[in-house]
Amino acid sequence: MTQAELRLCSLLLREHFGEIVEKVGNSLLRTGPRPLRLLVGDTGLLLDQVKKALCVLIQHNLVRYEVQPRGSVEYEAQSKRILRLLRYPRYIYTAKTLYGDPGELLVEELLLHGHLPMSCAVARVADRLTETMEDGKTMDYTEVSSTFVRLADTHFIQRCPIVAESPRNTKAPPPPAPALAIAEKDMYTVPRLSLIGKGKRRHSCDEEEEGEHKAKRQKQEGGSSETPPDDGIYWQVNLERFHQHFRDQALVSAVASRMDQTSSEVVRTMLRMSEVTTASGASHTQPLSSNEIFRSLPAGYNIGKQVLDQYLALLADDPLEFVGKSGDSGGGTYTVNLHKALVSLATATLESIVEERFGSRCARIFRLLLRKKHLEQKQVEDFAMIPAKEAKDMLYRMLSENLVSLQEIPKTPDHAPSRTFYLYTVNVMAAARMLLHRCYKSVANLMERRQYEMRENKRLLEKSQRVEAILASMQATGAEAAQLHEVEEMITGPERQQLENLKRNVNKIDASENQVDETIFVLESFIESTMKRP
Amino acid sequence: MADVKVKPEVPDPMDIENRIIELCHQFPHGITDQVIQNDMPHMEAQQRAVAINRLLSMGQLDLLRSSTGLLYRIKDSQNASKMKGSDNQEKLVYQIIEDAGNKGIWSRDIRYKSNLPLTEINKILKNLESKKLIKAVKSVAASKKKVYMLYNLQPDRSVTGGAWYSDQDFESEFVEVLNQQCFKFLQSKAEAARDSKQNPMIQRNSSFASSHEVWKYICELGISKVELSMEDIETILNTLIYDGKVEMTIIAAKEGTVGSVDGQMRLYRAVSPLIQPTGLVRTPCGLCPVFDDCHEGGEISPSNCIYMTEWLEF
Repeated sequence: MTQAELRLCSLLLREHFGEIVEKVGNSLLRTGPRPLRLLVGDTGLLLDQVKKALCVLIQHNLVRYEVQPRGSVEYEAQSKRILRLLRYPRYIYTAKTLYGDPGELLVEELLLHGHLPMSCAVARVADRLTETMEDGKTMDYTEVSSTFVRLADTHFIQRCPIVAESPRNTKAPPPPAPALAIAEKDMYTVPRLSLIGKGKRRHSCDEEEEGEHKAKRQKQEGGSSETPPDDGIYWQVNLERFHQHFRDQALVSAVASRMDQTSSEVVRTMLRMSEVTTASGASHTQPLSSNEIFRSLPAGYNIGKQVLDQYLALLADDPLEFVGKSGDSGGGTYTVNLHKALVSLATATLESIVEERFGSRCARIFRLLLRKKHLEQKQVEDFAMIPAKEAKDMLYRMLSENLVSLQEIPKTPDHAPSRTFYLYTVNVMAAARMLLHRCYKSVANLMERRQYEMRENKRLLEKSQRVEAILASMQATGAEAAQLHEVEEMITGPERQQLENLKRNVNKIDASENQVDETIFVLESFIESTMKRP
Repeated sequence: MADVKVKPEVPDPMDIENRIIELCHQFPHGITDQVIQNDMPHMEAQQRAVAINRLLSMGQLDLLRSSTGLLYRIKDSQNASKMKGSDNQEKLVYQIIEDAGNKGIWSRDIRYKSNLPLTEINKILKNLESKKLIKAVKSVAASKKKVYMLYNLQPDRSVTGGAWYSDQDFESEFVEVLNQQCFKFLQSKAEAARDSKQNPMIQRNSSFASSHEVWKYICELGISKVELSMEDIETILNTLIYDGKVEMTIIAAKEGTVGSVDGQMRLYRAVSPLIQPTGLVRTPCGLCPVFDDCHEGGEISPSNCIYMTEWLEF
């Protein structure tokens, strides 16, 4: 837990959940697992407040609890999970591209609530969708629930662990905290529910239509206020699956830019086929035979079998080594080398950062060192064909930024500088970690700047909100155009301009936070994948 | 009858020398002491030594050491005339420089080999330079070092740096121009291959260019004043690889196909970058020079960051 991570976590908690939760989260992050009493003492808040804050955090999977052997329960904050708060917009957007509006709203509801039963989620989403639709139309539950089932089938959402059914031993006291567990096979099974109904609007102008169904709906409402049929079965978003999807996307786009569109489609097909069969941390996908790939190609691509074979052979031969040939049965079996792909993507990210910060000649030296591992100063100049003075300058700059390190090889036991070899080298893991830390700090900076901008213009924002409220109420009560116009005039031209600027700036900062998050994703996946390998 | 003492004929010293010179002419590679002794067995070692010393000091014989012993060789008459005016020390220094061939030799090394003091060496070197027998060449590796070599010799590539150096200066613009030309050639080849829309194998193979083809193209372009070899072109193509613009494969080629070296051929292909510029560098923080000094509440903080202000107004 570096300082930058801590700062970012507390900023995220404050933005999403408020100050009290931030205080509790901060204390847990800084001091590690603690029981409730110590936590209350640390934060100086009331017991009630701390309890509620912990509830919120546990609901969102940000804090875990564990029963210690002594009998106390300790709470531990998951810093990695808190950092995922940054990535919520990307998850929602992905769901939208894959499953349309119902998918997007379902994922959004699940992310906002942490855990949600299916019936609740479907009801909420249907209501929201109905509001955005035209008058007179409503959203049917069946469409939303079918999207829900599809999300569960592709493992994008999963069931939360439930309290294990244990025979009640009346003699033993109940455990201080329930132990949660879930079987692997149950994680994605959707309970058989018959959810019938339609979404309803909040402010409905068509009173007549509503009137007809009101009676029925009230009955349903009454029914649902009792235990819903899937009580106790809560669903949460499966973040690992989304990460897998992002990784696949990055891979496919890299192949598309390095080779051509068709090759990237082939790779996409291979990845899609191994979506549910490959564990999330695996370094290779399962071997897929070329016949299977041919059968699973999307319908639009009618390329012949031989052409497909050629593409696969080309992919396997490419210096990128994303695809490897693992055998000859079934027309040739191929696997996607995920670890190698992540390494290539991460090094490409590092190279692009060096290029943008220091210039293309520095990038040349950096790539040269990546390839040749260890080089002397003279050799660097020779290979990169850069004049000696400039090469020296660039190497020293990169050295001061710790992107490049020196390895000493002494010729004599006394390490005299004149009789020692100094070799330049790039330590990829260290550089990746350092840049990841820099990303965290950048995102924290951007968030602070955004909040600062909002604070500076608070007065203006409040004013515009008041004006809007007045306008809305006047419209509801039916006012003339002239009066509305008068109210609008309350915001002057320059103020309007300022508001425009503010909106534009805040959007820009928001967008760039998401962009930095993409870099964070690549670097984190690379570090994780390298650490997992034996 | 009294004993007639046969006085051993005292060979004329001149005769000895002439005889030795004749022998040397007979064996241009050099003669050993043994050969002279065999030829004139009645000569005493003393006289032989005197004769040889005289010939050496006159500069007509060269003394060489070989594995078997000492060799005497007739000295080139022309050379002999050149050194007529110089004394032994100069001749020694000249010998050492001659031995260094076209790599040249550093003054300190001359000192070690000849065991002469520095001042003497400097005087001799100046002397020889003025007589136009040797010249000083600045080495490209260490710019302060001067190596000496014979006047009419061409300095070796390692000293002058080869095609990329002109007058000890690295020609970076020349390298840049070559870089871009090679890349353009490979790029147009790859595009032509892509537009041909044939099956992927052929497409890929035709987008490759061997180093020989690139070399021919560059030669025909005629942008280089200096003759470039295939190795030079390969070093340029390597820099393109380090730029991430080009990738290389090595294939096995039949001996005798044009451009193959030791049964291998190098093929190059232009490629586009793997990813777009990454997210971090699109924000001001990614490129900020004072990133480490920035924290909330300090002189430099996100709230008053001028880079961010500029970026937001963009």
